[in-house]
Amino acid sequence: MERIFRPVVVAAGIVMTVATLASAHHGSAISYDTSHLWTTWATVTSFNYQNPHPTMTFDRTTKEGQVEHWVSELLTNPSVLVRAGWTRGRSIEALKPGTRVKLYLGTSRAGGLSGIVMKIENEMGESIVGDRGETKAVDLDGVPQGLQPSGKDKLPGQSTGQ
Amino acid sequence: MANTTRRRQIATRLVTAAALTIAVVATSGQHVGAQGRGGQGAQGGGLLGRVGRGNPEDALKSSDADKRPYNKKDFNGLWARNPQAYGLPPCPECGDPGPWPGYGYHGTPPPRTPEGEKRFQANKPGRGLELDSEDAKRRTDLDIGMRRAVLPAFGNDPEGRCEPLGLARLIAFSGGGATMEMTHSQANDRILQRFEWTWDNREIWLDGRRIPNIDDYLPRYNGYSTARWDGDTLVVTSTGFDDRQWLDQYGYPISEKAVLEERWERPSPNRLRVQMTLTDPALYTAPWKSSVKVWTLIPKEKMSVSGWSGILEDRCVPSDESLFNQFRDHAAGLKK
Repeated sequence: MERIFRPVVVAAGIVMTVATLASAHHGSAISYDTSHLWTTWATVTSFNYQNPHPTMTFDRTTKEGQVEHWVSELLTNPSVLVRAGWTRGRSIEALKPGTRVKLYLGTSRAGGLSGIVMKIENEMGESIVGDRGETKAVDLDGVPQGLQPSGKDKLPGQSTGQ
Repeated sequence: MANTTRRRQIATRLVTAAALTIAVVATSGQHVGAQGRGGQGAQGGGLLGRVGRGNPEDALKSSDADKRPYNKKDFNGLWARNPQAYGLPPCPECGDPGPWPGYGYHGTPPPRTPEGEKRFQANKPGRGLELDSEDAKRRTDLDIGMRRAVLPAFGNDPEGRCEPLGLARLIAFSGGGATMEMTHSQANDRILQRFEWTWDNREIWLDGRRIPNIDDYLPRYNGYSTARWDGDTLVVTSTGFDDRQWLDQYGYPISEKAVLEERWERPSPNRLRVQMTLTDPALYTAPWKSSVKVWTLIPKEKMSVSGWSGILEDRCVPSDESLFNQFRDHAAGLKK
């Protein structure tokens, strides 16, 4: 498959220390480029801890001071989170609106301000709402739109959409 | 006394650390990738590299070191396929060993009838190797069903509408990669099987009743199941399926009059396994054997949240799904 992202030198790789935490309902993963992860600081605007996967909206600010409004889903589902100790109450508290977090993201393959959250760190550098171990990604904090696809990629099934 | 306790704590931690290390090794490469609910997501490289590992025959090897006597006909308990998530030693044979891109019915799909092919083509799965990707073109060892995944927003997986998964998919999926457990509650005349994801269940009747004439009954997502013991093997026969379901996440169809035979065994104290055979002449030209699925017995105290043990009420709720699908559609560029 043709590489879909702009030529950015990305040392992205994933080490899954607890592979069973990996989750993607409804084949979510195919919708995002999870082989080119990037990080950004963001401010949580909403967080929903519910099936099939938690969802989150957040704002991030570019170096020019422009605020971007993003939508995202979390890779890990509630049943896995709760068994890892990330109960609903604890997770909602950790991601209440206004919280500053560092996000490890894969942008949607269709582009835009949409992504999948692979890992979350708080301002102390601790993994929160799940722990995906060592997740490597390129730092694009403040870069407008983070990492976006080139637009050359054909999205599988697009022509057969229903 | 304090020293003894301390030594025991240290020993316990060392054993746990070793088990986790083994778990990492055992699961990396096998379940590296997006999985969970429905198991592995479609693959396109990177994170979603090959997830299959081992050979299907590996499912018959037992890593259970427990040699205590046990009742081979007692299937009661909580069963999962990822014991390491509960601090137990890993179970390599539980991970659907084989070349598969994710959980599924597996085995070797027989040729489909014209009707089977028509229905197969109408189903657009969001899991498996990505349609037209290099992986999909290269992995010709896999049936085309596992090499045609589209973006979920462009697919039509009934799971994406919270429709019931159906029996074979519940079994194939249960515990497949994530923590989707099942329980068995066994009585003399029946076994109640419950599945965590979608909070579904079915009864397996052992009271001597016969499978109904399905033309006299409404088809059901989980069909009608009767069983008998063949030695220590529980042989379950089911039919009367609602044919809107998919056999598994790859969109293989199943007809109302299909007959699904399951052979359940408890080969060691902490393992339960099944192999299924689908006979569905309306859609497939020959019977289709699944791969062997294996579960580990999870002690009650290990499977508890806030002191409450058991499976979770992990329902697929349409309103939840509707919200989630808004995000799904954003990701596909259908919503700005």
